[in-house]
Amino acid sequence: MTASASDAPGPPAAPVAPDAQVEAEVRRIGEQLAAAFPAASRQPLRALDARAMEMASSDRELRAALFRFVDVVPACRSLDDLARHLVGYLEEVPDASPPISAAMRISGTRAGRAALGAAAAGGVRHLAHRFIIGETPAAALGTLRKLWDGGVASSVDLLGEATVTEAEADRYAQRCLDAVEQLAAATRSWPERPMLEADGAGPLPRANVCVKVSALTPLLRPDAPARGQQDAARRLRPLLRAAQAAGSHLHIDMESLDSREAVLELVLDLLDEDEFREGPSAGLVLQAYLRDSPGQLDQIVAWARATARRPPLTVRLVKGAYWDHELVQARQHGWDVPVFQDKHECDRNFEALTRRLLAARPSLRVAIASHNLRSVAHAIACNRVAGGEDRDLELQVLRGLGDELQHALATLGYRVRTYCPVGDLVAGMAYLVRRLLENTSNDSFLSAQASGVPIEELLAAP
Amino acid sequence: MPIPFANEPILELRRAAVRAGLQEALDRVDAQLPVEVPVWIGDDARTGAELLSTDPGAPDRLVAAAPTTGPADVEAAVAEAQRGLRTWRAVGAADRAQALIAAAAWMRERRLELTALEVRECAKPWAEADADVCEAIDFLEYYARGAIELGHGRELLQVPGERNELSYHPRGVVAVISPWNFPLAIPCGMASAALAAGNAVVLKPAEQSPGMAQRLVAALRAGGVPPAAISLLPGEGDVGAALVAHPGVHAIAFTGSLAVGRQIVAAAAQVPDGQRHFKQVVAELGGKNCVIVAADADLDEAVPAIVGSAFNYAGQKCSAASRILVHEAIAAQLTERVAGAARTLVVGQAQTLGTDVPPVIERDAQERVARYAAIARSEGRIVAQAPAPGEAGWFCPAIVVADLPPGSAVLEQEIFGPVLAIQAVRDVEQACDVVDELAYALTGGLFTRDPAIVRRVRERTPVGNLYVNRGITGAMVARQPFGGNRLSGTGLKAGGPDYLLQFVEQRAVSENTMRHGLEV
Repeated sequence: MTASASDAPGPPAAPVAPDAQVEAEVRRIGEQLAAAFPAASRQPLRALDARAMEMASSDRELRAALFRFVDVVPACRSLDDLARHLVGYLEEVPDASPPISAAMRISGTRAGRAALGAAAAGGVRHLAHRFIIGETPAAALGTLRKLWDGGVASSVDLLGEATVTEAEADRYAQRCLDAVEQLAAATRSWPERPMLEADGAGPLPRANVCVKVSALTPLLRPDAPARGQQDAARRLRPLLRAAQAAGSHLHIDMESLDSREAVLELVLDLLDEDEFREGPSAGLVLQAYLRDSPGQLDQIVAWARATARRPPLTVRLVKGAYWDHELVQARQHGWDVPVFQDKHECDRNFEALTRRLLAARPSLRVAIASHNLRSVAHAIACNRVAGGEDRDLELQVLRGLGDELQHALATLGYRVRTYCPVGDLVAGMAYLVRRLLENTSNDSFLSAQASGVPIEELLAAP
Repeated sequence: MPIPFANEPILELRRAAVRAGLQEALDRVDAQLPVEVPVWIGDDARTGAELLSTDPGAPDRLVAAAPTTGPADVEAAVAEAQRGLRTWRAVGAADRAQALIAAAAWMRERRLELTALEVRECAKPWAEADADVCEAIDFLEYYARGAIELGHGRELLQVPGERNELSYHPRGVVAVISPWNFPLAIPCGMASAALAAGNAVVLKPAEQSPGMAQRLVAALRAGGVPPAAISLLPGEGDVGAALVAHPGVHAIAFTGSLAVGRQIVAAAAQVPDGQRHFKQVVAELGGKNCVIVAADADLDEAVPAIVGSAFNYAGQKCSAASRILVHEAIAAQLTERVAGAARTLVVGQAQTLGTDVPPVIERDAQERVARYAAIARSEGRIVAQAPAPGEAGWFCPAIVVADLPPGSAVLEQEIFGPVLAIQAVRDVEQACDVVDELAYALTGGLFTRDPAIVRRVRERTPVGNLYVNRGITGAMVARQPFGGNRLSGTGLKAGGPDYLLQFVEQRAVSENTMRHGLEV
């Protein structure tokens, strides 16, 4: 199922590098990156979080209980209510550890529940602050500026509840519109950062906003993509116009497979409309965990080569955040599982897609979004071996999960962009849980390092 | 022994290539309309055009044509079934199972055509029509395996000197009287269960869906069920009544309204002179299904699930959600979101992908729904309405109503249409009280993230199928055995491990194994 650069339609942009050369480069870059990670001792709070997460990820039931709790916090009406929910979930964890048993004991009294509820809510808020940089784009500007000053670009993602009504879609679209304009205005006075502001294809906007199509319309139906597509289009067009007028980048996120066709067609169709021939800078997402992602890339590359529009479309390559959902849904319905179930297979596909994306430049811009040290080093290495410049490859990380990698990448002078959730903690909870799920089941460099996996192994070809 | 049961996979309609096949199938089916449905008794097939089914979305389109079944046909069908019974009951369980599995294969080979015909005859949207065809296949496969298991009888206590056996035997002739809303799966489930257990079947399908019934009988016969063991009597209520009253019928399997169910139970209780058995009635009746939304519910999940459960297939499912009982703390928020979601519903043609609410089955249904909508308007507050298109077809607007007074007919009677009532309650206990006061007890829903509330509602609810944090329709064979309590039904759950027991009688044989002091 995996494709190689030679499968890419059209003439190859660069000769395929010998694997040995790439592997040597992967090793060299990976070691440099690892050395540039901040020392844990300098970030005691982070180290504590990392340990807490490691503990949660090693115990499936406990992890489930904590996720269920994080998920329900916004709906709880009092500390007592919080405590009752927490205890309700913990009761379902077999072989509770001593701290959990202690929590359950104090929940026997009203005062105990108030204390437990307050502690738990505080814990969740602490965790949420790690991921969510502000309640509004305006409130997030301080953090965004600090990132910029540290050599890190950003992309703002507006969190919110699911869209089930037209009014909710309108409100989300308005929030996005405001964000596009506010960020563009605020970032104009930022100091110049040449590495973050231009690549070989031209200038790169400082303001960068992500939108979700499922939030732009209540009408997405897996069996009737056109309906949601049309409804989302009438809210996405003004956003594209605003981004063009303000000089912002607009990135359309990809969600579950149920909406993929609608999202992909929507973006490619809209960008081909006459009024968007000269911009704005826009992008979409390719999910490497999908078995048919090479075919999706075929479609994107064919479109990019055929279109007359500029600047080039940015493709953000991710592993994908809906793995459990896709697997469970497919198994419930008796469908072929659409995602790779073998991690190595998935990683190999990620690398194959990376090579093909790099080869598709300058028709496309490439952003590699991964916290996997090997995947990141591989992208950088492939770009270099193919004769590309570092500035023609963007690397992306998630706020709160990829902070150390972000630091290492920025330190070494690569262009790194951090995906920053913005929104209130309540609305952000579901998002948080999803990211946590991904984190605790993934292969983060830190946790691998903490558990003593040697760097050679982390950088080995999948 | 066949491979372990697994549900037939539904079509993956999110893939364009899969969707592309639907229109072709519809074109093929349209080219062959109307379906000729015979009075089909054994090998004798008499056609005619007195009973017609039409497309609810385009009443001018004739879908199926059948003759009228008369009293003589009922007599002939029961007599033929008695002949068929002698042959079929003698067939071993494994071979009966094989015939049902072969019938499932016949359907599988024609899945898209069966689905397309259902889209036309019953205005069931593609995804739901497909699910119905899959469920029919599931019933065949599931009951086939159940038949083999029944064939083994049950273990009894054995002591020295005797051999004890408990075995299962068919009851005899089973009248299957089926509805139009799951026009393949429900008749298939009832008929295949009866056949699996060795009975002979006379099928009287709903007059609105004879075409789908013809396909079912064709499948069973193609699979190897002897024609005498499965006859088809297209017709209206009088045919069903004649079958129910017939002394040669041993059991009646019925799915339909409470009103008809009552009549059947009463009629079947009569034991005229010369009838040497009591009639077993297996009845799946209506529902007035409530969804409880606790204060801690995840509304992002609850709203789409509620709207789907209430309005898919225009609410024409006995399992459909018709009342929401929501905690007062979130009632305003939920009402606003459900109303907003309901306003986005598209009322339209079943064959158009993306239609949420198709037309209802016939003019009478349209008029009935309109009567309840008028009551809702006068007694309550309409909070949302999705308008019906101005084209021919039995369309009804989808309606959400709040603030109805206790005792309103909209709150208590089964409407079988796209009408959803929302009501705030003080707490989950009060919601349980409301559910407990209803005469129906079919399905129920609960949205909460509190394990204690889940436990409490499980304890208190009388409903046959409780769904927690999900939609309340779409029961799957072997996963959600389906059926109600109270006036919602008499039977054991369809698609569950005990369903076949209703179609058998038990015999215990105890044999003395001592002969002159020697155990043989």
